[in-house]
Amino acid sequence: MNATAPPPSARLLGGRIPYVEGPLKVTGRAEYTDDIQRPGMLVGRVLRAPWPHARLVALDVSRARALPGVYAVLTGEKYPTPFGVLPITHDETAIAVGKSRYIGDIIAAVAAQDERTAEAALALIRAEVEPLPEYSDPRMGVQPVAEPIHARGLNGSNIQKEVLQHFGDVDAAFAGAAHTARVRGTFAGVTHAFTEPLVTIAESTPDGRLTVWSATQVPHYLHRALAEVLGIPMHRIRVVKPEVGGGFGGKSDPLPHEIVCAALAIETGRPVKVLFDREDVFYTNHGRHPTQNDVKIALDRDGNIVAYDIEALIDGGAWSSFGTVTTYYNGVLSMGPYRVPNFRYKGRRVYTTKPPSGAMRAHGGTNLRYSIELALDILAEETGVDPFDLRLRNALPPNSVTVNQFRITSTSFRECLEAVRAKSGWAEKFRRLPYGRGIGLGCGFYISGSNSPIHFTPKMPQSTVHLKVDMDGGIAVHSMQADIGQGSNTLLAAIVAEVVGVDLERVHVQRVDSDVSPIDLGSYSSRVTFMMGNAAKAAAESLLVPLLEAAAQLLGTTPDRVAVGHERYYRRDAPEQGVTFLEALHGAMETRGALTASGNYRSPSMGGSFKGARAGTAPAYSFAAYVAELAVDVETGEYKVEKIWAAFDCGRALNRLAVEGQIQGSIHMGLGQVMGESMNYRGARLFNPSLLEYKIPMPQQMPDVEILLVGKDDPEGPFGAKEAGEGPLIATLPAVGNALYDAIGVRFTELPITPDRVLRGLDLRAKEGRPWKGH
Amino acid sequence: MSEAGLLRMRLNGHPVVAPCEPARILLDLLRDDLHLTGTKRGCDLGTCGCCTVLVDGRPTLSCLTLARLADGHDVTTIEGISPPQGLSPVQRAFVESGATQCGFCTPGFIVTATALLRDHPHPSRAEIERAIAGNLCRCTGYTKIVEAIATAAKDGA
Amino acid sequence: MHLDPFALHRPTSVDETVRLAGSLAGRFDYLAGGTDLLPNYKMHLNLRPNLIALEDVGELRGHGAGRFGAMERLAELDDDPAIRAEYPVLADAVGEVATPLVRASGTVGGNLLVETRCFFFNQSYFWRESLGFCLKADGDRCHVVPQKEKCYATFSGDLAPALMALDAEVEVAGPAGRSRRPLEALYDAAGDGIRRVHLAPGELLVAVHVPAASRGLHGRYKKLRVRPSYDFPELGVAVAGRWDGDRVASLRLAVGGVEPHPRRFDALTEPLVGSALSDDRLRALADEVMRQLRPVHNTFLLPDYRKRMIGVYVRRAVDEARRGSAS
Repeated sequence: MNATAPPPSARLLGGRIPYVEGPLKVTGRAEYTDDIQRPGMLVGRVLRAPWPHARLVALDVSRARALPGVYAVLTGEKYPTPFGVLPITHDETAIAVGKSRYIGDIIAAVAAQDERTAEAALALIRAEVEPLPEYSDPRMGVQPVAEPIHARGLNGSNIQKEVLQHFGDVDAAFAGAAHTARVRGTFAGVTHAFTEPLVTIAESTPDGRLTVWSATQVPHYLHRALAEVLGIPMHRIRVVKPEVGGGFGGKSDPLPHEIVCAALAIETGRPVKVLFDREDVFYTNHGRHPTQNDVKIALDRDGNIVAYDIEALIDGGAWSSFGTVTTYYNGVLSMGPYRVPNFRYKGRRVYTTKPPSGAMRAHGGTNLRYSIELALDILAEETGVDPFDLRLRNALPPNSVTVNQFRITSTSFRECLEAVRAKSGWAEKFRRLPYGRGIGLGCGFYISGSNSPIHFTPKMPQSTVHLKVDMDGGIAVHSMQADIGQGSNTLLAAIVAEVVGVDLERVHVQRVDSDVSPIDLGSYSSRVTFMMGNAAKAAAESLLVPLLEAAAQLLGTTPDRVAVGHERYYRRDAPEQGVTFLEALHGAMETRGALTASGNYRSPSMGGSFKGARAGTAPAYSFAAYVAELAVDVETGEYKVEKIWAAFDCGRALNRLAVEGQIQGSIHMGLGQVMGESMNYRGARLFNPSLLEYKIPMPQQMPDVEILLVGKDDPEGPFGAKEAGEGPLIATLPAVGNALYDAIGVRFTELPITPDRVLRGLDLRAKEGRPWKGH
Repeated sequence: MSEAGLLRMRLNGHPVVAPCEPARILLDLLRDDLHLTGTKRGCDLGTCGCCTVLVDGRPTLSCLTLARLADGHDVTTIEGISPPQGLSPVQRAFVESGATQCGFCTPGFIVTATALLRDHPHPSRAEIERAIAGNLCRCTGYTKIVEAIATAAKDGA
Repeated sequence: MHLDPFALHRPTSVDETVRLAGSLAGRFDYLAGGTDLLPNYKMHLNLRPNLIALEDVGELRGHGAGRFGAMERLAELDDDPAIRAEYPVLADAVGEVATPLVRASGTVGGNLLVETRCFFFNQSYFWRESLGFCLKADGDRCHVVPQKEKCYATFSGDLAPALMALDAEVEVAGPAGRSRRPLEALYDAAGDGIRRVHLAPGELLVAVHVPAASRGLHGRYKKLRVRPSYDFPELGVAVAGRWDGDRVASLRLAVGGVEPHPRRFDALTEPLVGSALSDDRLRALADEVMRQLRPVHNTFLLPDYRKRMIGVYVRRAVDEARRGSAS
């Protein structure tokens, strides 16, 4: 596939395109799952385990069942088929079977006439349990344990996944290195905290079909999980994705409550809604893993990176979720944006008796990157080289292959560094700001769509888009791509409008509905722009064929001599001679009837042939270089990030409004992980399952963000585009971490960096007698 | 519903009578009984601001308001703020500035911003930030929301 | 999240409220702005079968001439430039309460009587049951300092320290009529996170009165919290005073957010009146306040940090108030 820059007549792509559904959202008319009413709908509620780890000896639900107004009570045995987002690690059940594995695990469910009755019924369920050991820390589970959380743990331990990779000769590289640095990072878990709580509605109808409306970002995987666990063929299940109020990865696994809701609907024959309280959402979690990593980097005498030696110990929580991918990513996503000739990685993800962690925005690349970028900052300082120069020297060149066989096509990383260096006034500021003020550089690298579809053989398309246009001239677009706020509906519509040459308002993106939407794998791994974009472009180009044929016929020429204008097709050799879109359409319909077209995308084959080689392969990668400037109150440890210069390579930005929004939102989310967000566990117990105590930054904490989009066109991305939804988060964290060092001379390796930790760091520096900027 | 009585209020400019027990929360009454689903249920504990409505013109967390206390009062929801056709200046600014992404927090922000600009037609950036600091947005980093409100102010919303 | 059923009472006068409260003795809660009570009710914290809504008691509204009605909404104070001009410490404190949306409903009286808070208390029924209920709700032990006698929940209002620094009095209505007492006497200094206020059954907080002598005092309220919005105080330091050149003419200091009740430190500030407040004496004052207060581990930030911040915040609050005086 060749890159196609937007045609000279580009009206939309590359500009600022307000969201097509924006008017519905600002008026409260956009329909989210909880807004849907079905006749006779029941309330579904789940009972949660109050124990960290327990064998379920007996559950007595008789009194709950007998309560008037209760329609169904479910326990785990009814639907025991295990599921999970990855086919290789099906270790979840809709409701706990045999034992429960964390405080909050679902052990029963009811459907009742109203909320009060449902809760009264739950209170009547009696559980007889045998307490089992609590494993709240991954270090407790790396050896064989008395009671493994899952039978599938490695050799009787709680290790869910172990990855050992070695490319080149790391020991030799370190032995011959001129300089080495090591950073051991500790990262609290963080969670998505999307504003729309998890919610599902299900309805089983007498025609033998099941309809499920759910706040999901991956309708297709939900579809599969429902079929597997409920034992119903996929064609008898219809999954609908209404508007979704944010996901960030937290709505990408098929989740137990979605299956529970469907099961309750089947049991009762009535529509059932399961709406989670915010506390339920925190227990469902699947957020970024609590992680400890150990990153060692070696440089040769010229400042070339010669090796990475990385370890990661990842706290998985009670289930696998995306964990196998997480375990790979925490190593292999170090393979950019720098050349690394020797690489060794040992990663272990360990089950714990805590809410499961999973995929969260910039999955697997965030904590790793923080430690790498701090280590590079240390090396720059040790070798007396400017942090920019060190990175420029080691930047991966375009069209290269990494040591683990990632295929790098486009990269404008060098341009990112140069732009942000100039704009930030780096040369005048670095190590020159007064004590307490600092500036820091952090970089980023992320996949633009996982090359490996989770459930497909690589031969099947990862995205398909269908178009239909009838004599009214409106273009209906069907695809299972999942807009969760990132603007993919808008991009889909804009690509179609651009290629077909019509007004955006002619294009109507249809609600995701598995009955009519062709499969797209959904919103995860920052894949949508790249994959759906290409599918949409192909579909629109295919739709254009009969339109141009009809126009050519009407204009007395051949299709190759017809150009696409705005709502008009015209002769290239006589631009004043043209036909309108509707004339061409109606001409084409005389022979074909309503037009339909289909386009799809599959990523090219790539990656090595060793075990795990596909993890981290992507048809393109994004690159970033951020500089943060901040001020620290050295007496209280409080700090304010005042400015971030964000240079990002997303190839060509197709909708600048959306790209800016993704970068600003990513910086906000990254800042949260640096400054205060944490899943605050004491032992296995989550202490802050609320938006009051989970510290998402406020508007006053947002820095001024200056965005520098310097990417050059990607050869395979639609119109040259790459991802901008997840990668922009990553560089935020190390930019702030390195700026803190510049400000006060302390390397913070434990996140979040709360004010008390800042003071502790300053105390330690004072104790060590290391003055900084004269203090 | 032995405790139930009838609640009478003006809702979006029109009189409404609804059965309502004392423990009914205004948000639940609006969404579940009256099917005005533009007002969103995000945290149900007064933290996210997604449920903001106007009571006698005052921005109010409907999740922390007993519906009965709206008896005899004016309640305006996002549906009441929206003109019958088209968009209000604040709404238009939100769309055009990209201040809405997932949109779930947006009705709350629109209500808050509308009240802000009614009382303070020319707020400073700091005043805007302070005024919206009870509405949680997880998508935008607030930047474009602040811009949208500033734009609406400039355009004389 | 629904609420369990209760009877809702809507008196329209102070007398009616007091009579009603007397007849419901101990089986009710007053409902003011609801921004604290209703989340607690949703989490099934100490439910009572009756709510007396104070919404319609007109006398409780309004502010002016040093009087602040108990049901005056915080937003009314926040929006009033006269408050900033006359009582800067109060303006600071009001502006720091929770969020604009909470201030739009939250009231003066509600903030003064806000329920004490603790990581082990402000949790759902499920959460608390799964750990074992605590002293303050449904249980008989403390998880913060394990024992069975005393509750360590923290007083988390912002207005009380500020109003204490202004020498405020509270007006209370009861079966025996109206009475006034110093604001600090509203709080039970010998109590704990449960037994925290001196209000007899049936008594109602009507208004707060700030004496004329406190008008125009220079002041500052400084609040420690993780975010500039939402968060309850992890520490709140209020200072109000007058300076005569370099000399301290009057100085009041009160601290909230640390112990189960807000505390006023007259014994430390009185000796400073009449002399210049050198940096050393200011530091000594701050250190002594820090020494006397003992944060426990029941909020987001660690107690040793909060303790250390007492010293910094006291010093800064006094210093900023003094500089405000000089300007």
